[in-house]
Amino acid sequence: MNVLKVPARTIAVFVLPCLLLYVCLVFIPILVSLYSALLDWNGISGANFIGLANFKTMLFDDPVFWPSVRRTLLYAVFSMAEIPICLMMAILLNRYVKRANTLVSIYFIPVILSVVIIGQLWKTIYNPASMGGMINGILNSLHLTSWTHSWITEPKIAMFCLYFVSLWQYFGYHLLIQFTGVQNIPSEIYEAAKIDGADGFKADRYITFPMVVPIFKISIVLAFIGSLQAFDLIMVMTGGGPANATETISTYMYNMSFLSMKYGYGSALATFLVVICLVFTVMINFVFKRIENKVS
Amino acid sequence: MKKIKKGIVFLLFAILIVTQIYPLFWLLLYSLKTNEEILGGSFFSFPAAPKWTNYKEAYEAGHYLQYLFNSVFVTGVTMLFVILLSSMTAYAIARFKWKYGQVVMTVFLLGMMIPLQATLLPLMFIFKNIPSVLGLDNFHFHFYFINIHFAWKIINTHLSLILPYIAFQTPIAVFILNGFMRSIPHEIEESAYMDGASVYRIFRSIIIPISVPPVMTVCILTFINIWNEYILAATFISSEKLKTLPFGVYSFVSQYSVNYGDIGAFLVLGALPVIVIYFLLSEKITKGMVAGAVKG
Repeated sequence: MNVLKVPARTIAVFVLPCLLLYVCLVFIPILVSLYSALLDWNGISGANFIGLANFKTMLFDDPVFWPSVRRTLLYAVFSMAEIPICLMMAILLNRYVKRANTLVSIYFIPVILSVVIIGQLWKTIYNPASMGGMINGILNSLHLTSWTHSWITEPKIAMFCLYFVSLWQYFGYHLLIQFTGVQNIPSEIYEAAKIDGADGFKADRYITFPMVVPIFKISIVLAFIGSLQAFDLIMVMTGGGPANATETISTYMYNMSFLSMKYGYGSALATFLVVICLVFTVMINFVFKRIENKVS
Repeated sequence: MKKIKKGIVFLLFAILIVTQIYPLFWLLLYSLKTNEEILGGSFFSFPAAPKWTNYKEAYEAGHYLQYLFNSVFVTGVTMLFVILLSSMTAYAIARFKWKYGQVVMTVFLLGMMIPLQATLLPLMFIFKNIPSVLGLDNFHFHFYFINIHFAWKIINTHLSLILPYIAFQTPIAVFILNGFMRSIPHEIEESAYMDGASVYRIFRSIIIPISVPPVMTVCILTFINIWNEYILAATFISSEKLKTLPFGVYSFVSQYSVNYGDIGAFLVLGALPVIVIYFLLSEKITKGMVAGAVKG
């Protein structure tokens, strides 16, 4: 008996509650969103069907849209760039530190905190020195007053301040994932390699790197998808401002939908977001499949 | 040479501890300072005398216990339903003989790529309209002496949070539980089946007790995600007495800007529950988060 033969009613009892809830609250909303992307609608008065006009405006006439896309992609690039560093740290931890587990779980603390706490904390850290901000306080005490900024209220650097907070918060997460991956490589392999004359970075090159590819991929995917959806932290810290300087696709969608009440246009942005999430997930999986085939 | 190398590595990890933990420690100091100390003090200074009244004021001015209770309630109910619904579905996919098992699984996997924010607007719309479509927004029933009257609404109730929370946590939960349940040896169920146990009985008395480890993983993932969730709460909830902790912290901070120390204290209070739980269960939480990431 490999599978249980059960009446259809039993299957329904087991599957339907979950599936219905899921379809109604995830799939149907996405379909609604696809449809309302075709409308000119402010949520109150009647909606006009305008076809693909929203998408046309979005792609060709909106001065905020493409910069938001660029920021979102840059977010992804920064988050992914962090992961090789985490991998190196994980290798060092595994090799030189005795109670590495404790250390990793300390680095992990920012990960479990709510974005609201993290965002507000960093807002105070970025404050001007006259409001008790930490960074400007440090710069002042080092007599580097000319380096002080009002950080997240300056359009040119605000976005980079946000990237930094995000990298800071998720550093522990990726370190932990990479560390688990490195730890799970059996030590016999290294011992065998040592006999053959490979240790240190040579061993990393031929043993560690190929063996952590799957785990490395997981971190990359998480970082990439996470940054495409980059949202909460920005909403908490800047709300997309100053002057749209920290807007990403998600925050722009939210602001259009809930602040400007352009429901149709917001839905077009949401549709775009869903599509690029799907496309990039498939793409990353494809790329890594090729890498894995090459390595093994 | 080796000593120098080791020294450098230790220095590196010491610096990392400072960057990862010092901001949190700084917040703790901040929360115990007077306004003058915060505004005039340097970036590193202990308060002259810890000002515990900050905590008293924050506690009295905000609705901390109310927020805490709401978070416990919403997270608890969500966890309960996620476990119940997704384990049933996972079991049905793993063991029942039916045509659409893989289709259902694919539907869930597809949903893992859908960003939550994209459903905000349509969900808002659906939640607003469902009660009136069903005719329950102003329901009168009169039959001799029986008089029923109620106005059902979803938006701005805990239901508007719990329903999407459950829906968004089920894909990963089904995925993790299904992976585990497929690996349970068939013999156990077979003998129970021979003894005349029903599917429900097998599920309740055999499968669930065996599946405790992956259920714990799901619990941890759900807890961390839902406990910290902010955007849905901020979008769907407007009553003070229904706010969850992250949203409550956010509104406290944005409304109450007279006393910096109080804000710091409220942030610390907001972070406290998760930190306490993390200190009690850090190993389980880190393991669970990695398992969730790796299997997702």
